[in-house]
Amino acid sequence: MRISTTLMYDLGVATLQQRQQSQVKLQQQISSNQRVVTPSDDPIASASALDVKQSQALNDQFRANAERAKSALGFAEGALADLTTLLQDVKTLAVYAGNATLTNAERASMAADLKGRYQELLGIANRDDGNGQYLFSGFQGATQPFAEAAPGTVTYAGDGGQRLAQIGPSRAVPINDGGDSVFRAIRNGNGTFVTAQGAANSGNGVVSAGVVTDPAKWRAAANARDFTIKFYSSAVTPDVITYDIVDNVNNVSLLTGAAPAAGPYLRTYVPGGTISLATQAPPDTNGTPFDFGAALAVENTPASGDTFTVKASANQDIFATLQGLITALGTGTDATAASVANYQNSLNSAMSALDNSLDNVLTVRAGVGTRLREIDTAQASSEDLSLQYSKTLSSLTDLDYAKAISDLNLEQVYLQAAQQSFIRITSLNLFSLLR
Amino acid sequence: MSEGIFGIGISGLAAAHAGLVTTGQNIANANTPGYHRQSIEQSAVIPIYTGSGFLGQGVQVDTVARAYSRFLDTQLTQSQSQASYYATYHAQLAQIDNVVADTNAGLSPALQDFFRAVQEVATSPASIPSRQSLLSAGNALATRFNTLASHFDALRGGVNSQITSTISEVNAFAQQIAALNGRILNAQQNPGQQPNDMLDQRDTLVTQLNKLVGASIVTQNDGTINVVIGNGQNLVVGSQSMALTVVPALDDPRRLDVGYVTSGNTVRLSASSLQGGSLGGLLAFRANDLDTAQNALGRVALGLAQSFNDQNQLGQDLYGALGGNVFAVPAPDVIGKSTNTGNAIVTASVASAAALTTSDYRLTYTGANYDVTRLSDGTTTTYATLPQTVDGVTITLASGAAASGDTFLIQPTRGVGANIAVSVTDPAQIAAAAPIRTTAVLANAGSGTISAGSVNVPPPPDANLQQPVTLTFTSATTYDVSGAGTGNPVGVAYTPGAAITYNGWTVQIAGTPVVGDVFSVTANSGGSSDGRNALLLAGLQTKNTLAGGTTTFQGAYSQLVSMVGNKTRQVDITAQAQNQLVVSSTSAQQSVSGVNLDEEAANLLRYQQAYQAAGKMIQIAQTLFQSILDIR
Repeated sequence: MRISTTLMYDLGVATLQQRQQSQVKLQQQISSNQRVVTPSDDPIASASALDVKQSQALNDQFRANAERAKSALGFAEGALADLTTLLQDVKTLAVYAGNATLTNAERASMAADLKGRYQELLGIANRDDGNGQYLFSGFQGATQPFAEAAPGTVTYAGDGGQRLAQIGPSRAVPINDGGDSVFRAIRNGNGTFVTAQGAANSGNGVVSAGVVTDPAKWRAAANARDFTIKFYSSAVTPDVITYDIVDNVNNVSLLTGAAPAAGPYLRTYVPGGTISLATQAPPDTNGTPFDFGAALAVENTPASGDTFTVKASANQDIFATLQGLITALGTGTDATAASVANYQNSLNSAMSALDNSLDNVLTVRAGVGTRLREIDTAQASSEDLSLQYSKTLSSLTDLDYAKAISDLNLEQVYLQAAQQSFIRITSLNLFSLLR
Repeated sequence: MSEGIFGIGISGLAAAHAGLVTTGQNIANANTPGYHRQSIEQSAVIPIYTGSGFLGQGVQVDTVARAYSRFLDTQLTQSQSQASYYATYHAQLAQIDNVVADTNAGLSPALQDFFRAVQEVATSPASIPSRQSLLSAGNALATRFNTLASHFDALRGGVNSQITSTISEVNAFAQQIAALNGRILNAQQNPGQQPNDMLDQRDTLVTQLNKLVGASIVTQNDGTINVVIGNGQNLVVGSQSMALTVVPALDDPRRLDVGYVTSGNTVRLSASSLQGGSLGGLLAFRANDLDTAQNALGRVALGLAQSFNDQNQLGQDLYGALGGNVFAVPAPDVIGKSTNTGNAIVTASVASAAALTTSDYRLTYTGANYDVTRLSDGTTTTYATLPQTVDGVTITLASGAAASGDTFLIQPTRGVGANIAVSVTDPAQIAAAAPIRTTAVLANAGSGTISAGSVNVPPPPDANLQQPVTLTFTSATTYDVSGAGTGNPVGVAYTPGAAITYNGWTVQIAGTPVVGDVFSVTANSGGSSDGRNALLLAGLQTKNTLAGGTTTFQGAYSQLVSMVGNKTRQVDITAQAQNQLVVSSTSAQQSVSGVNLDEEAANLLRYQQAYQAAGKMIQIAQTLFQSILDIR
């Protein structure tokens, strides 16, 4: 076969160019550490790499969000810790206030101290995150959540909105708690009902917080959840104290089923004995038995006409609780047994309200702690994921250096061989032999 | 006697001379493109009969022939035409390939930065710097779309100008071929003798023409050739050449078509009829890849803009107002064919970004019906009236009436990439908050809880969205609703956890509410720390919003990258294979027609020796003649 001289040169040059092209490509790959320089190098890998890069960027963002969430929750946790300390201090003080040897002057100075704590409480409730965003105002970060209308009456201008931070593909974690849930959504009494003494009591009866023996019965629809326990004393020796339970909503005596009447009543009072909000027949004569699943006790000696109320618990905010204690301490006692009992009843209700507040704050704190923990876990798993994404990305587009460099060496050998053989072949021709 | 010897000697000298000249021509043209090796064909002169038999009369040179194989030359021309087609195609594709997945110039990094900024706003909705950075990232994203689209536009402009210059080259070749045809016709008056070098020149021109556009050759009996392109249009007939020209496409004046001028009329040649050569490569690139790639980019831009705008409209900005549009995108392009005779003005709008395809559409009025054809697969749907929504695009007859045969080209996504922009300049206008909030009244005795609530899609939101609404339980299983826009229904049955929808919002109440419990839904006034809507905006990044809800923005873009990558790779590999084919057909052609210098050197020696030998004969004849003269 005839080999045309032009073709021989053309082919030789084309081979050299091809070799140089592959060398340049290899050099490009080595210098960028990328096996896939343009999508056409590996269309599938480069398209998947783009998707993986998005997942990686998203994952990184989730980690950044988690940091933000931790910082926000850190502010809340700090405020809640301060609040816990404050409530514990107040509780200690309330326990001390029950000391019978205290003088009114001492009580007044304790009240003054409490007023300071009250302001501190307001400060905690209106704390912000350093960027002017209030911690406890829900969605309305720029709105000061709590304002005092009158001592003990604090209005809430925020809302229950939960700010969210996306910390995972399908998890947005709340990074705040509304002021309502921290400071205001606190049931008074024992959490189900609240007991109180009548304002005009003249005896020294002290009422307990009471217990719920059957929550379902207390919640039953027929239950009016508003009762008065009325006492009657025979005022002869031996004194027999009897009591009645009046349903204030329907205005009937639960014991007789008839309209409330004057004493003596059907049940006999035993100091410290259980007063059950359930039919006890005898002595009850009510044809329709009742059972509201609740019981309470009264200590000491109520006077005739003394009353104690039992009502469903309502929300009482921490400010009102503190103000109640301040009022009780400020009022103090006079010489009468009734005022001592009144003071004691007020202290008792303040104590149970404080306990409830503390429980509530601790519950909220536990929630914050759980979320912080969840964020830590999410961060850890997202770090694992990040590593995985890097690995995937690396396997998709990164260069195998050892292979690339050995390829480069091989290409150089090829190029050299091509160059040398080209020189040898083209240097031979018949004309050079013609003399 | 001696005359015969002289005669033979001189004929030998002449033949050797011709051989030397031809060899010299071969050597001189060893590097001439398209040159075919020439050789003399010689034969013995018809002998004279004498009494002692036939005496030879010497040698004659019959002709100078070129080593030519029509089959091999045609094969080479065709393979070069295809190689040029693929090389051009690949060069164009590579320009898309180089940018789409680039870490700096590609779309993906800008897309990720943008959504990262959205996440930042979701986490810190009240922060103006976060919002500002979102706007900046939005602008960067829009600019990236613009840059990529303008790259595509530049490529389209490049295709136009390359078509123009290719056409003028084609015309120049056609004229040269026609001129050579004329000269070859004249030269061939002398029968049996080929004007080899002119034929070489013409063949070279044909090859070069084929590198520009696929052309077939019909050889005529008189030695001229006709050059035929497209669907059988004669480019050269004998010594006449026709002209190609560029004309703006009827349905889209921004693109140039190839026209064929014949007796004053211009006939458009379809892209599919112009196969092969760089012109074919350009047209195929424009029709198959450039349009699709730009449409795919536009679809991502449009989908992103629309879903972001839609979600932003369902939120509330920092001023407490409902959100507006964040991105501005142009309406789909509708281009009436320049030959339309009716006065119809047709407009199009995007009804659903999810349903969009990457295709363009053609609307044709048949006199009775409107035919809408999806150009990617030729599917035609017939409608009696407009407006109609096809693949998420609503086509409307804005005014006038179409005449039968009127045609409109609709490009829903083409121009979006180039024109997408951020229309918001005030960072506070990012609607990060949800416009409503829900409250369970603190005094509620039951354990019922109300969800944070969500705004119903699609926008625009209900006019009464932010009206305060209260739900008051009248028993453990029923509640009354009151508030403007709700119709104040009473005794609505309560199902824990079921969706409760009024005024364009949806909430769920769960747990055990009791009589008298109240839940309210109100405007989220002052909700500066609320990032709920921003979370939904951020969620769009991973939501399957495009291609009928099957892929994300990134996914749709990855499809584009994969399409471009695969196509480039495929064309690259084909181009390499085609180059191999060129090499092998060149070897085959050169083995017949090429000049090998060693061979020519040998021929030189051969003819030199023949010349010397013939010269010797003349010397001997002279000696013989002298010996006669010397007789005294």
